[in-house]
Amino acid sequence: MIEVDQLVKRFGAVTAVDGLSFAVRPGHVTGFLGPNGAGKTTTMRVILGLDTPTSGTARVNQQSYHELVRPLHQVGALLDATALHPGRTAEAHLLSVAQSNGIARHRVTEMLQLTGLESVANRRVKGFSLGMKQRLGIAVALLGNPPVLMFDEPVNGLDTEGIAWIRQFFKDLAADGRTVLVSSHLMSEMAQTADRLIIIGRGRLIADTTTAQLIESSTRKDVLLRTPRAAEMVTLMEARGATVTKQDDGGLAVTGLDAPAIGDLAAEHGIAVHALIPRTASLEDAYLDLTGESVDFRAAAS
Amino acid sequence: MTAPAVPLTVRARDVLVSEWTKLRSVRSTHWTMLVAVVTPIGLSALVAVTLANTPRNGPAVDPLLPGLLSLEYAVLAVGVLGVLAFSTEYSTGLIRTTFASVPRRRAVLAAKAAVIGAVTLVAGELVAFVSFALVQAVLSRRHLSVSLSHPGVAGAVLATGLLMFVVATMGVGLGAIVRHTAGGIAALVGLIFLPAILGLLPAPWGGRVGRFTLLDAARQVTALHPATNLFAPALSLLVLLSWPAVTLLVAALMITRRDA
Repeated sequence: MIEVDQLVKRFGAVTAVDGLSFAVRPGHVTGFLGPNGAGKTTTMRVILGLDTPTSGTARVNQQSYHELVRPLHQVGALLDATALHPGRTAEAHLLSVAQSNGIARHRVTEMLQLTGLESVANRRVKGFSLGMKQRLGIAVALLGNPPVLMFDEPVNGLDTEGIAWIRQFFKDLAADGRTVLVSSHLMSEMAQTADRLIIIGRGRLIADTTTAQLIESSTRKDVLLRTPRAAEMVTLMEARGATVTKQDDGGLAVTGLDAPAIGDLAAEHGIAVHALIPRTASLEDAYLDLTGESVDFRAAAS
Repeated sequence: MTAPAVPLTVRARDVLVSEWTKLRSVRSTHWTMLVAVVTPIGLSALVAVTLANTPRNGPAVDPLLPGLLSLEYAVLAVGVLGVLAFSTEYSTGLIRTTFASVPRRRAVLAAKAAVIGAVTLVAGELVAFVSFALVQAVLSRRHLSVSLSHPGVAGAVLATGLLMFVVATMGVGLGAIVRHTAGGIAALVGLIFLPAILGLLPAPWGGRVGRFTLLDAARQVTALHPATNLFAPALSLLVLLSWPAVTLLVAALMITRRDA
């Protein structure tokens, strides 16, 4: 359980987080979503006690991070996979982190196996690809077998196979009853990973919802129609109460009539139909609708 | 969920062991320590040979001087090692993993200083006694040597061995304060050598100011015949140890106040 309450973080004149409140509950993969610069990383740093909030609080398992004894047993986090000493081996890196929290050495070996890094355990990390560093960061996060996990943009640098692996991995962690917070600036990524979403923009909460609800509430549902006799069809459909918008490519975007009704109507009048496609707004569209304003405002302000 | 009570001593040991792993798992540590041990031993032997070959009628030379002179260069190597302990973590971002693992940042500072301090103390004493033996072996041919049992000699050699510890732990503090490698090294070199210029002021100001500088304090505690215009050796030892102590104190104050 992660609870952020009225969190404000200013860096000089810049307000990175502006009165943010939300809770992340166990048993779900919660996506932490927002455009670049929205305040996701800053919020995560405050949760980890790395940055001191200007005001407000962040608590993990009902405690402030500084109160946690051997915190890696309670919270595992991956903020920046490249934050490694280039001259240290993967195993030595993991071992040094494990020792700082009294974590047994066998966990180091287990985490290297789990993340598929055993064969490179004794190699210095300077030769690692970004994907390998991500895996090492995940190994660090899991060392203490913590009930709360946070990952900042974990998909960056992973190949297709790695992305599939990590998605399943997050789901397994949540199914285990853990609290999993995963940040991303890509809605498409979160749609496939997260079942809950916390969306922020300019340091403020925009939405705290489920992925399903967000899709449901997006108003843009229509049917795309392509026909050689467009003008006739527009008249016919509008007579039945539909709203028709003509697209640049000649297609007709129809709301107020569903695809079967449009098909029947065309058949009745002997009009050829080249395409008839029911469309729902993608999650990406819903996300852009939500955050568009916050992005625009920033662009205008700067 | 309630965390099991973990005694403070166990947590302190955890951080020490972790920092020890970090120190020994990078190659630069091994190279630096090799340079810091081999160079001064070789240098002091060289200085001793030069001393042994200077004309007898020249000014009296402190038979412990070669050991000290050679160390003044070696301490820079371990000073850099000290600076790197924090500066590499800040420059790579690893410090965030460290502080997320150990939110008590002063414990991290103390552990880094303790681990590097222990290593450099052992290495420093090794260098001091090996250099001493080597230098006296060279000087004995000219009957300039002193034995370890001679009053004040053992203490002076022990104090010589302290120098690496002093500069390395000061480096740890500066690394935590400055957080950049180049800046930290510049600060270290500046704090060691710039005040030494003040010691060159005309008398009596040279001594009055100079006795507070790290280098003059070091010369005073390691000399067989301490200078009369500086603090007595016991007080000079205090001055010498104050340099890393004050640096680490400032680091301890700053380390919790800034965002990592």
